Amino acid sequence: MALARLILVTGKGGTGKSAVAAALALCLARRRPTVLVDLDQRMWAARMLGLVSDGRDAGDDRGPRGNGEAAIANPHATANPEAIANLETMSLSAATELEAFIERIVPIKAVARRMLQSRTFGYVSAALPGLEAFLMLERLRIIAGRAALEDRYAVVDAPASGSALELLSVPGALRQIAPLGTLNRLAANVESFLVDATRFAVMLTLTPQELALREALEASDVLRGRLGVSVAAAALNRVPHRLFNQRELDALDTYPEGALLARWRDGAGGFAARARREASRAGLGVIELPMLFSPAMGRAELQELSRALDARLFPPKSGKSAKSARSSESGKSAKPPTPARPPTFAKPARIASAVKLPGSAKFDRPQ
Amino acid sequence: MTIPHRSRGGLLAGRLLVCLGPGGVGKTTVSAALALGAAMAGRRVDVMTVDPAPRLLDALGLDPIDAAEPREVPLDDLHDAHDLPDLAGLFDLADGSNLRETSAVVSNVVDLAAARAGGGLGARGRPARRAGRLRAMRLDPKRTFDAIVARHAPSPAAADAIMQNRIYRNLSQALAGVGDYMAMERLLELSEEPATDLVVLDTPPAREALDFLDAPRRLLDLLNSRAVTLLGGGMRRGFSVVDLAARAVLSTFDRLTGLHLLGDVQAFVRSFDGMYAGFAERAARVQQLLVAADTAVVVVTTAEPERIAQTHEFLAALRKAGIEPRAVIVNRTLAATASAQRIARAPIAPALRHKLMRAAAEFAALHAREAAAIASLRAGGTAGLKLLAVPDLGGEPAQLADLARLGRSIATL
Repeated sequence: MALARLILVTGKGGTGKSAVAAALALCLARRRPTVLVDLDQRMWAARMLGLVSDGRDAGDDRGPRGNGEAAIANPHATANPEAIANLETMSLSAATELEAFIERIVPIKAVARRMLQSRTFGYVSAALPGLEAFLMLERLRIIAGRAALEDRYAVVDAPASGSALELLSVPGALRQIAPLGTLNRLAANVESFLVDATRFAVMLTLTPQELALREALEASDVLRGRLGVSVAAAALNRVPHRLFNQRELDALDTYPEGALLARWRDGAGGFAARARREASRAGLGVIELPMLFSPAMGRAELQELSRALDARLFPPKSGKSAKSARSSESGKSAKPPTPARPPTFAKPARIASAVKLPGSAKFDRPQ
Repeated sequence: MTIPHRSRGGLLAGRLLVCLGPGGVGKTTVSAALALGAAMAGRRVDVMTVDPAPRLLDALGLDPIDAAEPREVPLDDLHDAHDLPDLAGLFDLADGSNLRETSAVVSNVVDLAAARAGGGLGARGRPARRAGRLRAMRLDPKRTFDAIVARHAPSPAAADAIMQNRIYRNLSQALAGVGDYMAMERLLELSEEPATDLVVLDTPPAREALDFLDAPRRLLDLLNSRAVTLLGGGMRRGFSVVDLAARAVLSTFDRLTGLHLLGDVQAFVRSFDGMYAGFAERAARVQQLLVAADTAVVVVTTAEPERIAQTHEFLAALRKAGIEPRAVIVNRTLAATASAQRIARAPIAPALRHKLMRAAAEFAALHAREAAAIASLRAGGTAGLKLLAVPDLGGEPAQLADLARLGRSIATL
C-alpha cells in the first residue's frame, strides 16, 4: 500500500482545506520531496506556511485572461532552506494553462500573444466546455507523472468540493462531447490518470458539523461512484479532545455561564463521534486532526497537524520503525513507508526506495 | 435592548438587499435570517436562496427538490421567538464597541441558554407586530434559463433548437456565469412584483465578487453581435488581426481535437441573435437596480484570515464597479463567554474550576485569533462601512425561531 503520488485536498468551504493541504505537504515532505500546488493564485496554503511573501499579491494581478503578465505570475519558489527544505510550492491558474496551450498550438509567438489579448477570444474560449479545467487536470497529470519518476509527492490545495467535483467531471464530459479525435484521447489519458489510485487520490476535509459531514459523504459518493476516483482519507478537522466528562457537565447545571463555556469547548466533540461513525460506515478512512486552541494558524500549528496526519498515513510497522517515523520530523529522509494499514490506499508503489535526487530535478512548471 | 425598528437607511429598509461573499461563510443562512428579520418587522419580503442546506430548507418550509417558485413561510409560529431575547452577541464593530466588551452579552447569552433549557423568560414587552410576510425560494439556474429561452425565442422551434444545442446543454449552467445571470433574471422579476417590499438575494459562492455582479455584462459580451459576426464566418469590415487569429486558432483547435464545436458555438450564439436586445435591456435594468439608492449590498464573511483577505478583494471589486457596499457581516464569531475572573468567583469544585479556567484560556486564544482577523478587516477599506459580528449559533439553524432571533438581531443594528 502506498500513497498516491498526487493528492488533491478538497472539502466544504470553511473546513480548513488549505491548512490540511499545507499540513499534508509538510507531512509528506519529511519523507520525500514534495510540491504543494495551489489551484488558486492566492496560494493560501503556502502563505500559511510562510512560503509566500505578501510582497507579490497574486490576487491583484489576475487580469482578464490574456493579460500577458498573468502568464508569468506563477512560481513562487520555496526560499526556506532548513525547515521545509523538501517542500516546493507552485500555483496553477486556468488562464495560464490556457495560454500555455494556445502557445503550443499557435507556433508564431506574436500571434499567440495578440490572440490571447483579444477579448473576443476570451469569450469564445469561455464557451468551449471545460477547456480550461481540462488543461489544469492535464497539468496535474504531468505533475503526478514527474512525481512518480522522481519519487516525489504532490499535494493540491483545490477549491471547495462543489467546484472540485465539477473540475474532476470535466474529462468525462469532454469525452462525451468529442467521441473521437485528439481531445478524446487526451481526455481519456486524464481520466485514466484520475482513476489510477497510485497516481491520484482525493483527501476530503470536514469538520464535526452536520453540513460538512454531509458534503463530505456526498463528495465521496460522487468521487468513488460516478468518477471512480480513489479517496485517500477523510480528514476530520478541528476535533476537540474532550475536557469535561458528563459528571462535570451535570455539576455545571448550577453555573450556567460555566456550562455554556464547557459546551462551547467540547461541543463539537459529540458530533465528531457521529461524523467518524458515518464516514467509516461509508467506507472512508477517517483521520482526526485536533482542534488547535492557538491564537494563530502558523507553521507550528501546521506542523502539529502534519504529525497527526503522519501517524495515520505512515503508522509505525513495529516498535522499531515507530522510531524512524518520529525522527523523520528532523527532516532527514526516512525509510520508505510500509504502513500496516493506512486509511485506504492504492496498490504498491512502483518506486520503493528513497532516491537522492539530483539537484537538477525540478517539477515541470508552466513557464 | 433596542427594539427592532425600521429607520430609513437601515439595512432592511430598502427595496433590495444583496448578500455577497466567499463560499462556506453561511451566506445563505444570513440572507434568510435578514429576510425573516425584515418580515417580522412588518415588511413583505421575498428571499431567493442559492443552494440552501437541507435544514435551512426545512426551517423555511421549502421542498428540497422543487422550490423554484416563491412559497410563503408561515410566521405564525414565531410568537414564541418574540419572547426570546435577541442573540445579543452582536456587535457593531464600527461604533467602537468590540468583542472584548462582554459583560452585557454574557448575561444575554446566559438568558438565552436558560430559556432554551426551558426556564422561560417572561414577557419582554415586545411591540405588537405588523403583518409582514416572507416568501422563500431557491434558485434553479437551468430552469430559469430554459424559461427565459422559451419566453424570448422567436418561435417554439427556435427555443427547441437552442435547448438541443450541445453548448447550451453542457454549459447552460457553467457558461460565462449563466448561473449568476439567472439569479439576476429572477431578481428582476421579483423586484417588479408589486406585492413585495423587499427582495433579499443570496448569491452563489464566488471567488470574486464580480463573478456575480458582472454576470449580465459577461453573458451579453458573449452574445453580442461582434462575437456573432466573428463566429458567423466571412470577412467583414472591422476585423482585427487578433480576431482573425482567434478564429484561426479555434478552427485549428476544432480540427485538432475532433470536437467540431465551432459550429455549435456559432449556432448557439446566432440563436440568441434575435433575443439579444431583450437580454441587453434587462441586463441594463439589473445594473441600475444594483446601484440604486434603495439597494443595499452587504458582504458576508467569517473571521478567518483567508476569508478576510477575500472580503477585502470583494470590497475593492465592488467599489471599482461603482457599487458602494453598505455593510460587512462577520458570521460565526465567538459568542462571549465567562471570563477567568468570573470563573474564579464561581461556586464550583476546584478541579472543575481548573478545567473551566483552561477552557477559558483556550477560548481566549481563539478569541485572539478572531480579533486579529477582525482587526485586519478594519484595517483595510472598511471605513464608512457598517461592520456587524454575528455570533456562532453552534450549527445550522434548525428552526425558524433560531433564524428569527438571528435575523432580528442583525436587523436591530
